[in-house]
Amino acid sequence: MHPLVVQYRAVVVKEVRQTARDRRVMALITLAPLMQLFLLGFAVNFDVRHVPTVVVDRDKTAESRDYARSQLAGDTLDSKAEVSDELAAEEALERGEASVALIFPRDFQKDLLRGEGAQVQALVDGSDPTRSSVAANAVAQYAVLRAMQLAQAQAQARGETPPRSPVELMPRVLYNPELSTSVYVVPGIAAMLLLIVTTVIMAMGLSRERETGTLEQLQVTPLRPGILMAGKVTPFLLIGLVDVGLALSVGAWVFKVPLRGSLTLVAVATLFYLLSTLGVGLLIATVSRTQQQAFVGGFLFVLPAVLLSGVMSPIRAMPDWLAWLTYLNPVRYYVEVLRGALLKEAGLGDLWRQVLALAVFGFMMMAVASRRFQKTSA
Amino acid sequence: MTPAIEVQHLTRRFGSFTAVDDVSFEVGTGEIFGYLGANGAGKSTTIRMLCGLLKPTGGGARVAGFDVDKEPERVKAGIGYMSQKFSLYLDLSVRANLEFFASAYGAYGRELETRIGEMVERMQLGAVQDEVTGALPGGLQQRVALASAVLHRPRIVFLDEPTAGVDPIQRRSFWELIRYLASRGTTVFVTTHYMDEAENCARIGIMVDGKLVALDTPAGLKRTHAPGRVLEVRGPRLAPALDSLRGMAGVLDVSRFGSGATVRVDPERLPAEALADWLRARGVDPLELEDSAPTLDDVFLALTARAQRGDD
Repeated sequence: MHPLVVQYRAVVVKEVRQTARDRRVMALITLAPLMQLFLLGFAVNFDVRHVPTVVVDRDKTAESRDYARSQLAGDTLDSKAEVSDELAAEEALERGEASVALIFPRDFQKDLLRGEGAQVQALVDGSDPTRSSVAANAVAQYAVLRAMQLAQAQAQARGETPPRSPVELMPRVLYNPELSTSVYVVPGIAAMLLLIVTTVIMAMGLSRERETGTLEQLQVTPLRPGILMAGKVTPFLLIGLVDVGLALSVGAWVFKVPLRGSLTLVAVATLFYLLSTLGVGLLIATVSRTQQQAFVGGFLFVLPAVLLSGVMSPIRAMPDWLAWLTYLNPVRYYVEVLRGALLKEAGLGDLWRQVLALAVFGFMMMAVASRRFQKTSA
Repeated sequence: MTPAIEVQHLTRRFGSFTAVDDVSFEVGTGEIFGYLGANGAGKSTTIRMLCGLLKPTGGGARVAGFDVDKEPERVKAGIGYMSQKFSLYLDLSVRANLEFFASAYGAYGRELETRIGEMVERMQLGAVQDEVTGALPGGLQQRVALASAVLHRPRIVFLDEPTAGVDPIQRRSFWELIRYLASRGTTVFVTTHYMDEAENCARIGIMVDGKLVALDTPAGLKRTHAPGRVLEVRGPRLAPALDSLRGMAGVLDVSRFGSGATVRVDPERLPAEALADWLRARGVDPLELEDSAPTLDDVFLALTARAQRGDD
């Protein structure tokens, strides 16, 4: 056997033995990501439903009651209480007991029947922008719908042909027809968890060797840095691949994330992605003296990498200069591959740029880490 | 035959601090070479340069026939290194450690088995080879560390304070292993600050503040740097008498230990009887006075004191 192969195998075997013996690390790389995926998959939910709503009905007529009942029948707004006046409604909003108040003025029914532009007022708590815009939308949409229905009913009553809306919108949602947040968010969370676990474990593993002196012992052997790095990374590449498999299974079973595209493409992208995250971990270890420094260093990388990846907030919503930064972030490409392949059945033809970027990033990180390692040892 | 280690004007500076200052020496093949000095005298820095862990800032060295600066990879293949920290994987079994370090030098298959088998037997590690290394007492860890450092049968083995923190019985059996290695032709370069251990070395270099201030056999060092006669004295009211004894004509060195002191004298100028009379006259009575031999401690103290006075 070639000495380099013997050395490489020795490092792999040693890493596997150390990892297998360490229950905490084993838990960190298997159980923890799954549990977090499970919890975060449920917790991170942008679906706005059941917004508590109070009603002020000064009219107290059949029309006002019917309007309120129909408006609150949908999923978006839930009836919280009926309060006596505007002041009480504002207080409910202030205390956070309700996020929307619907106010029917006196003469609502009279104006309506006379066709004189009956008024409904809606107060919306704007402190959570996503929630309030969805709630305001629901109120506005219902008003349009109601107006249309009334106009049709009145026309019928007069014996005319009911007017039709001049424009009819027929939206059809592709890839995620139920608009479920989980389907969109779970692949992102999987990428994020993989990033955290692999970067931190690698950074701490190598700096532990520095702390205990075994790194110095390795440096007096003929073991080259490149072989050492390759050997250290290999077991975690495989573990990471298994982690992704588990995450996608949980995603499919629990959160109904579809697995439409090529799993081979996902696996290849995962390997390059892991090469990047593990490489960054090694690089962090070369600039850290202790495990503590490595841990902190790991998080200094992981946090911005997650925030600037499109996992948490869309890149399109970022200012241009920040959006540019995301091109230097492997997480961005990996999330694009996962979402593209899983949800849209995108193939290598659609995603080759992202896969290439991940490969370049991965091999570059490993090379830079090896070089830095060589320098610090001399 | 070329020497195993040739060091010429080796220098290492860290900023404005010179850790190793223009050091030159040679070590022969199969020799046990001791490198003595206080903490911070430059022992470890020298070893780290000779093992290719640290680049010299001046001068150079050839180890196992190769230049440490230009061909560090070839040097590494020919040497073994054991640090004072016994740098082992404490979470792995003894055997897993030995397997790893043997393969790091390229051994595998039957050859790996043979080497590990031999080493386990020689170091008497058979009973503990499946135990987790971190759970073993210091003496055993030390033997595992030595075994890991010499599994690949290096021509030269560097031992940096190998017996620090190990009990005297373990230290003695450790030195038997070192002598065994040397008897097989392995060159041993060992640093220590235990002077009694240093007596085991064929030759000793003494480092003070980065400089190699003496280099000779133990006997030669004592002749040159601790001449005269060493007397051990005990008795009442010794302390004040010793203070005025220092600086007296014929007194070369006074050092206290526990309840007594050793006084090194030039017998020509101050015979033992004269010293005894002088001490009794100061109230040190009853006086015990015994002949003793100079030790490397005396050598070391004399050299350190001379360096502190600043004369060379």
